[in-house]
Amino acid sequence: MSEERNSVEAIKVAFETEFAKFSGIDLEAASLNEAELLLHEISELKILHTGKKSPIAGAMKLIGRIPPEERGSFGQFVQVVERGIVEAIGAVENGLRSRISLLKIELESLDVTIPGRRPRTGHLHPITILRQKIEDIFVSMGYAIEDDREIETDYYNFDALNIPEGHPARESQDTFYTTEGFALRSQTSTVQIRAMERRGVPLRILAPGRVFRRDTPDMTHTPMFHQLEGLCVDKGITMAHLKGTVTEWLKRMYGPDTVTRFRPSYFPFTEPSAEFDFSCFKCAGSGVFQGERCRPCKGSGWIELGGSGMVHPNVLRACGVDPTIYSGFAFGFGLERMTALMYSIDDIRHMFENDVRFLEQFS
Amino acid sequence: MDISYNWLRDLVETDLTADEVAAELTRVGLAVEGIHAHGCDLVFDIDLTSNRPDCLSHLGVAREIAVNQDLEIATGSSDAVADAAPNLVSIVHPELCYRFTARIIRNVKIGPSPQWLVDRLEAIGERSINNVADITNYVMHELGQPMHSFDLDKLTDNRIVVRRAKAGETIQTLDDVERKLDESMLVICDAEKPAAIGGIMGGLDSSITESTVNVLLEVAYFDRANIRSTSRKLNLATEASYRFERGVDIENLIRASNRAAKLTQELAGGTLGEFINVYPTKSTPKTVESPDISAAVQRLTGLTIETNECVRILSALGIMPVDRSQIPNLRSQIFVSPSWRHDIAIEEDLVEEIARHAGYENIAAELPPVFGAGEYQPNEPREKRLRRVLADMGFDEALSYSFIDTRHDEIFETVPNLVDSDLTEQFITLQDAVIDGAVRMRPSILPGLLDAVRLNLNHQRRDIKLFELGKVFAAAAGEDSPPKEQKLLAIALIGGEIRQNKAISERDLDFYDAKGSIEAALAAVSVDNVSFIPAVVRHLRQGQAARIQVDGRDVGSVGRLNDDLATTYKFRQSIFVAEIDLQTVLSIEQAPLAYRPLSIYPGIVRDISFVVGRNVSFDDIRDSVAEMNFALCRSTTYVDIYEGKGLAEGERSLTIRLEYRSDERTLVEQEVEDVHSQIVVGVGKKLGISYRV
Ligand SMILES: [Zn+2]
Repeated sequence: MSEERNSVEAIKVAFETEFAKFSGIDLEAASLNEAELLLHEISELKILHTGKKSPIAGAMKLIGRIPPEERGSFGQFVQVVERGIVEAIGAVENGLRSRISLLKIELESLDVTIPGRRPRTGHLHPITILRQKIEDIFVSMGYAIEDDREIETDYYNFDALNIPEGHPARESQDTFYTTEGFALRSQTSTVQIRAMERRGVPLRILAPGRVFRRDTPDMTHTPMFHQLEGLCVDKGITMAHLKGTVTEWLKRMYGPDTVTRFRPSYFPFTEPSAEFDFSCFKCAGSGVFQGERCRPCKGSGWIELGGSGMVHPNVLRACGVDPTIYSGFAFGFGLERMTALMYSIDDIRHMFENDVRFLEQFS
Repeated sequence: MDISYNWLRDLVETDLTADEVAAELTRVGLAVEGIHAHGCDLVFDIDLTSNRPDCLSHLGVAREIAVNQDLEIATGSSDAVADAAPNLVSIVHPELCYRFTARIIRNVKIGPSPQWLVDRLEAIGERSINNVADITNYVMHELGQPMHSFDLDKLTDNRIVVRRAKAGETIQTLDDVERKLDESMLVICDAEKPAAIGGIMGGLDSSITESTVNVLLEVAYFDRANIRSTSRKLNLATEASYRFERGVDIENLIRASNRAAKLTQELAGGTLGEFINVYPTKSTPKTVESPDISAAVQRLTGLTIETNECVRILSALGIMPVDRSQIPNLRSQIFVSPSWRHDIAIEEDLVEEIARHAGYENIAAELPPVFGAGEYQPNEPREKRLRRVLADMGFDEALSYSFIDTRHDEIFETVPNLVDSDLTEQFITLQDAVIDGAVRMRPSILPGLLDAVRLNLNHQRRDIKLFELGKVFAAAAGEDSPPKEQKLLAIALIGGEIRQNKAISERDLDFYDAKGSIEAALAAVSVDNVSFIPAVVRHLRQGQAARIQVDGRDVGSVGRLNDDLATTYKFRQSIFVAEIDLQTVLSIEQAPLAYRPLSIYPGIVRDISFVVGRNVSFDDIRDSVAEMNFALCRSTTYVDIYEGKGLAEGERSLTIRLEYRSDERTLVEQEVEDVHSQIVVGVGKKLGISYRV
């Protein structure tokens, strides 16, 4: 029996000798490489010293040589030794594993502040953005969006709009002509005429589009810009409807507290005519923003936006509409000017330079 | 236009402060843009609309102030006070000079003006010259009537002849310029020669100088259109021509003459001599008929204003109702426009006069009755989506001028069916340009986009993607046909594929980025059946250019800009462009969407690589597979293309993936193998290419 016990003791000693390098390790100090190497070694140790083919498993077979009355205590002894081996290895393994996973978590931690993998998205032109926004509002109010030719005859650009030959507005030299004598439309009012001819009345239309005037480009002028005109013709339309419509639109653009102001003015295609202003979106009409003179409204509290009025009876007649039965209002303004005011753009020429540093500020 | 507050109060005794006057003027349509101090005076800067020449004077502005305050205007006398002198003036062409008054003032002493006069003129931005010159200027700004003083002794025979200029006649005008005259122009002459261009500028020879003793003061009325045309022809616009061409008050001449004469007497010590008033062309006052002015105001403005109040406002403005008792059975009201208003012609004009004085601020704000559902332009929803998709792919939207330089004409190939090559003049040209050289209405958007790319490269931007949607123009066949206008989409891209907030690009862009962007853009507007055919396109580099077809119709091109153009623009990297006729593309009818049931059986895929030369394309292989028409073969897709090691020069290995599937059963390996090898062999034979195992 002591021979057998001795061989078990020998197994234990042999294990302990091999295990010695693990018992003293300082897990806290182990690098990932060291820990992984140790883990590899300890698993080899585990294969050698545990399992069916290990010396300690072999020692159990010696039990046959043990007298029956001592088998119990021998068996217990072997089990204790075996458990000791398994536990010693297990403890080191676990220690190494958690060390490794700790180190890996640290190692694989990311700089979450690095920009995400995001394709660069482009930007719509501010004129498009504003046009779409205004179109949405007017479509919701029952308007049809219209556009038409950009190169027009004098008839649509002038005559039908009550600007006969000899009229100062016609001779003011600011209309482009082609060599064939066609005019580049100088206002989108041309669309009013074509839409009334095409659709008849009653109608409600909104016409956005490019227009052209012979201005040399400077801070506030470009020879091409975008205008937007509204037209409503029906029985019983009055200036009250003009005020109501323009006010409703501007409230939806700039908030419910927006108020409008209409001032008498002159346009050949409307009578009576009015210019319209609205309370400044920046200073809410006070003229003062953050203690300083408000920029968009130049301290007046009002933004002067566009022209409007009741459609001149000559214009209605030109479109075959009887002005004794129908009346209508029209209004119009420039999109570049409105954009420039909204974003305090001091040089309107940026609109057509297509500088990406400009374009990417809008979305 | 500058108007002095003190001067205004000489004419109308208003209690209103300057701020109140400014508010009232703005309210009635004479927009006061600002008020500034000048000495102890305040000056209004008024932005006057072109229909109100009657307000180009303190008198005109005073009238507007007086309306709602029921104030009288200090008008001055209109009585002709001196002896007539019938031989002094003769009007040869009364159709151009409706009325002419002349006043002789003798023994004047030319000298400086008194301080009050200097102050008045300086307040409104005018410079003092001498007493006689200042007086005419002063009266013009006070009463709106331009006038001219001659040195009487320099007029041959001391008399005036008003006539058309003779061909070849010239005059040295006050600004020391020799002016050539023609028979359309009206001149004020002495017995021999022109002494002034009527209503525009006086002559130097007959002008007032320090040695002038006797003065002839001209106060006249000229035909508006003729003043305008002469002023344009001579390229000479003056304060006088500005007023005459817009229209002055023909009945105001004597008052203005009296006022100037009286001031001359006071300030230059002259004695009043002969006066003559020649008035050959009288026009009847304009009348406006209004069946019911109160109803008209209501109908157009929604304001409820009693007839009495309407008539009061109009009368205060000088628009007088005709006494109805004089005209039996008249139901309408007739109003007579005053001689100083040239803009009152129809009932709507009366409505505006009443409404602006009753106040636009009193008009209610209400929405028109409901009419119907709104609608976008037919293509707008698709264009909106197209813009969005391009932006999401990294393109910034550009807008460029519709006019470009003619030097682009032969360089850029236009989209199909735009330019009619049978025409001698194929493009649209402007008569002149405001941006140098830009007289061509663009037949292509690309030059504009390339300019934009150049500008951005100059600003150290390397990776650029731009798109633009807009119209191009070309001549149309047929007499008087308006030019063709066609809406196109164009893109330009250069540099690398970039990420948001990352400094360097991922990889360089190439042809397939441009093609892919066009494919995505077309897919966004539900256009499929798009093909790309190798082509020669003028502005593109050969071998990297394709015609774009939709449903077999040519609609545009895509490719790499050719080397010559790239050099012209100083592009150091490859740049890719595409332009398509969006209008045509969007007009192609789309097949309605058809749903395909989902297969419940799995598919099997096989990849195969063919070794191809430059003469065999992916489309050739795909079409050959399709032609063999195997029911089990469901799709041919591109995997990759390789050239280099293991392949001869000029050869590429093109790998495709074939998908096999049945809708009835799960396929077994062997039947797929059978079909696949038939396809591989068939394609190889048809196209004369080998495959790699
Ligand atoms: Zn403000």
